[in-house]
Amino acid sequence: MFQAGIERTLSLPRQVSTAIPAQDWLFLVDSGDRRKLVDRRKTNLAAGWRILFGPGLQPKLSMRYSRRTLARAATDGTLQCRLAERPWGRMNDQLAQYLRQRIEGVESVTISGLAPIPGGFSRETFRFDATVTRNGESELLPLILRKNPPEAQAILVTSRQVEHELIETIRAETNIPVSKSYGAETDASVFGEEAMVIERMHGNGHTTDLFNGGPDSDQVEDVIRHLCEVLAELHTTNVDTLNVGGQLSDPRGVGVTTTSWDDYMDSTFEYYISSYSSINYDPGAIVMLDASLTLRRNKPRPLPLCLVHGDFNPANFLYENGKVTALIDWENSRIGDPREDLGWMVAMDNMSNTSVMAHPVTEGGFLAYYNKLTGFEITPEELGYFILFGTMNIAVPVATGIKRRVIGEHHQLLHLYLLQPSMATLVAFTQLLAYPGAPT
Amino acid sequence: MMTSPGIDALIEGVILGIGNELMPFLSNEKAQASAAMMQSLLQGVRQLLPVYEQSLISEHNAMTATLRSVALLLADVAGPEAERIRERGASEGQRADAPDTVVIAGVAEAHRELGQALEASVSDLDVLQRAGGPDALKADAALAEIRAYLTPTYLNLYQAMTVGGGFLGRS
Repeated sequence: MFQAGIERTLSLPRQVSTAIPAQDWLFLVDSGDRRKLVDRRKTNLAAGWRILFGPGLQPKLSMRYSRRTLARAATDGTLQCRLAERPWGRMNDQLAQYLRQRIEGVESVTISGLAPIPGGFSRETFRFDATVTRNGESELLPLILRKNPPEAQAILVTSRQVEHELIETIRAETNIPVSKSYGAETDASVFGEEAMVIERMHGNGHTTDLFNGGPDSDQVEDVIRHLCEVLAELHTTNVDTLNVGGQLSDPRGVGVTTTSWDDYMDSTFEYYISSYSSINYDPGAIVMLDASLTLRRNKPRPLPLCLVHGDFNPANFLYENGKVTALIDWENSRIGDPREDLGWMVAMDNMSNTSVMAHPVTEGGFLAYYNKLTGFEITPEELGYFILFGTMNIAVPVATGIKRRVIGEHHQLLHLYLLQPSMATLVAFTQLLAYPGAPT
Repeated sequence: MMTSPGIDALIEGVILGIGNELMPFLSNEKAQASAAMMQSLLQGVRQLLPVYEQSLISEHNAMTATLRSVALLLADVAGPEAERIRERGASEGQRADAPDTVVIAGVAEAHRELGQALEASVSDLDVLQRAGGPDALKADAALAEIRAYLTPTYLNLYQAMTVGGGFLGRS
């Protein structure tokens, strides 16, 4: 087996006509023809390996070198090639092995179509299909691998094991539609970082199709009604049922306590305020300090603590035939105030140019229907408070990542880029805090 | 000094290079998103350059004025927090206005120190506000003064630096 990043010497036959054995045919990996590269039936290269360059070889896009070219490039009957591992190259084999261990009675597993899913800042996600054979019958499982990013790149440090246990608890204890989780792999040596495999649910994830005259506008009323019912069920399910082992009381490990609503709010204020020295990449971030202090000075009335989704926004659900088929992306889930999810939805609804909160129209909108289902009688003013509270909850880890990049702890491009959306967040804070002259 | 191409044209060239010579050959969608982020950051720098020095100067001068105003509003408030705020008004707030033509490195350092003085003042004002009473109302007014300074600086920064809302890679 080749090793990543080392020189390997291939012995070439002197006579071109005798040819190089098929298993030594070489391919240069590049953009235009990636499928040819990853198809082991064509390449005979071990999955996950590629040649970046070799002396005497001019780079070619996704073309295998002929035996003649290789022989010509070899000056003394040998060819030096530098090999490197594709970022997710060996993952096919690892995923197959992982699933063999976790699916009962499986005879064989074949992985296909592994590809990264763009979008999302906190987890690396890959889609793939697994053909699983059991009792002589094959079944195609559409799946997703959710993997922690490298430590330096991590924005939100959360556990895939906790997410797995939460998802399976929700599946067992509620009617909330979520993807089946096949388990977390906590051994970082398997996938490079902690990871989990979940079912790729059916349904449309392009939720903007529901709004602004989109192709599924006729479903919006039913889908958002169901979404509201799902959220209401989540927020009214007994906390102890879902907070198995107490792991969701303080999943970030920042000192938040949930023994009471007041404890939760006070310890969260303390988390925000004490984090300021870790997030002020520039004194210009002062509005986040102001926001934290203002939140503490204006604590609202209490409501029962519940499990909050933590990133309840217009992009984090799938739908089909007027129903939500899955509420997705539970990594920021934790015990909190139910108004946090609603406030975050209001904020993201505005930023996404969607209108979740306006539906179901027949019930007077999302908040009115939610209040009808839960009896919480939440006011728009309270939502304003929790927009700020929820935005801080996301802003703290994001700004921490930015500061680590700014002071040179790492050189991740993403964290530098996050300065741009952060500028929008700072302006949003001025709106939420009603700064004089702030845009309305 | 080189004027043709100037800084703007050089950055523009890099952006075009990424688009024409790099992105068409990236098969990985994550890598494509990264390349688009690089372009966006560079475009943000292009937008920032024309307003950077002037904004730094005007904000420097506005911050000294703000620190003086805040101190004045708390002129008759007792306690260590108000005292510290008055001291800042008498020290940081008395910095001379930055001239139109300056050594930018010096202004940048002063700009940072003034920002830190405002940070400290926001924390002190919070103590006064939480204590309640008439002093809290004055602290409210003082905080409003700082907020009034901050609003245009954030808007200016957002307009100068952000491209397309800063949401690349999320859709």
